[in-house]
Amino acid sequence: MVSRTEEMILNVGPQHPSTHGVFRLVVHLDGELITKAEPVIGYLHRGTEKLAEDLQYTQIIPYTDRMDYLSAMTNNYVICHAVETMMGIQVPERADYLRVIAMELGRVASHLVWWGTYLLDLGATSPFIYMFREREMIINMLNELSGGRLTFNYMRVGGVKWDAPEGWIQKVREFIPYMREQIKGYHTLVTGNEIFVNRVTGIGKYTKEDAINYSLSGPNLRCTGVKWDLRKDEPYSIYDRFDFDVITHEGGDALARYHVRTQEIEESLKILEQAVEQFPEEGQILAKVPKIIKAPKGEAFVRIESPRGEIGCYISSDGKKEPYRLKFRRPSFYNLQILPKLLEGENIANMIAILGAIDIVLGEVDG
Amino acid sequence: MLGTGLAKGLKYTLKQLTREKVTYDYPNEPLPLPDRFRGIQKFYPEKCIVCNQCANICPTDCIQLTGKKHPDPTKKGKIIDTYDINFEICILCDLCTEVCPTEAIIMTNNFELAEFSRDMLFKNLEWLDENDENIRQVNKP
Repeated sequence: MVSRTEEMILNVGPQHPSTHGVFRLVVHLDGELITKAEPVIGYLHRGTEKLAEDLQYTQIIPYTDRMDYLSAMTNNYVICHAVETMMGIQVPERADYLRVIAMELGRVASHLVWWGTYLLDLGATSPFIYMFREREMIINMLNELSGGRLTFNYMRVGGVKWDAPEGWIQKVREFIPYMREQIKGYHTLVTGNEIFVNRVTGIGKYTKEDAINYSLSGPNLRCTGVKWDLRKDEPYSIYDRFDFDVITHEGGDALARYHVRTQEIEESLKILEQAVEQFPEEGQILAKVPKIIKAPKGEAFVRIESPRGEIGCYISSDGKKEPYRLKFRRPSFYNLQILPKLLEGENIANMIAILGAIDIVLGEVDG
Repeated sequence: MLGTGLAKGLKYTLKQLTREKVTYDYPNEPLPLPDRFRGIQKFYPEKCIVCNQCANICPTDCIQLTGKKHPDPTKKGKIIDTYDINFEICILCDLCTEVCPTEAIIMTNNFELAEFSRDMLFKNLEWLDENDENIRQVNKP
């Protein structure tokens, strides 16, 4: 008798803890091998871009918090930066420093979530708990600064809402050496673990050309050896004042992405260290802006480096207080597009390990 | 050698056992929150000048208010009649307190909004007036 394998269709998600939100994946299986994978997105679509057409520029800021909710500060920044570019507003220095400190703290927190949850996906529970402990410290700091734990609504067109509270900068200063010490601990716990390294080496591999052709950005691009970081290559805000390295790795696999992200935390700490050192004693936190913000007629596109890649904001304005059209280039959405290609021919056991390494946030994918 | 990394990791985990706890006994103990925390609003009807700015800036249109003529005919302006916030859609973004010229609406540290019925999330003037615990001390930057 001839044995025959029938194709099996397996539905993963949308309610699956390892899909990091409401992401659905339909995988066609031949035995244990994936023959085809179809991502289904849109379960968290709220139509931010359409809603924004009826909102004043200040009102859009809380909506951006809800896109990439793991690093809302960068989202706050990109919309403010776009409007400031259109209106030609010069942001006060103190506000710029507060923005950079907040964004870099957000980047560390975001990478810690990825680090913890990725290991959780692979079956290691304790690193997740440790990393969330340190992330909680960052979130408490940002809570003190902005009044929100995740949805900060901190930045305004022309500056920031709040000045740093008493002793806050000192808290950030003390946090940096503490975090460095903790990262060393994590490396002993995770990076030195043979099981983990063997598990992720060589999976989800793609080349430099593929990464560029699929418009990948952020750690997903830098893991193939492309040195591209907007903080360095197209400095915005005051990033040109800081000395830090752009981390790249050559592998292009999940392990390379892991190394890029973990080392980026250390680079962010370097930026934070310099920012708190250079932090101006006094100064304005909000530039002189009209009470009702009206971007002049025309259009603008700005892009910045979020923890997940290039986040861009396009505004087309007809001179009213609401944008005519607003578009966000959401990095998670672009990064996710390579997933079907990566999964094809892979073992089903590697599916979550590959998906996790891309680091998507569904609030951002669906927009 | 295979396994040394595992042993080192286990050592790290064991070391963490002696560390101080970072969790709170939350429902039994109140959660420590900073002054700036954005919780359910407190409303002062006597301070309100019915300027409608909070309702206009609200990104989700969750504030509804009406005013009436001042009962004292010698005084100009309006006083507040009804003031409702729908917490089904309020995102606690703090913009209403930011624009209020008289600080009639300010944030508190109270965040427990869970109710058994959706209707209960519709808070009126009296409820918001009585919500006067853990009020934010410094409201304007």
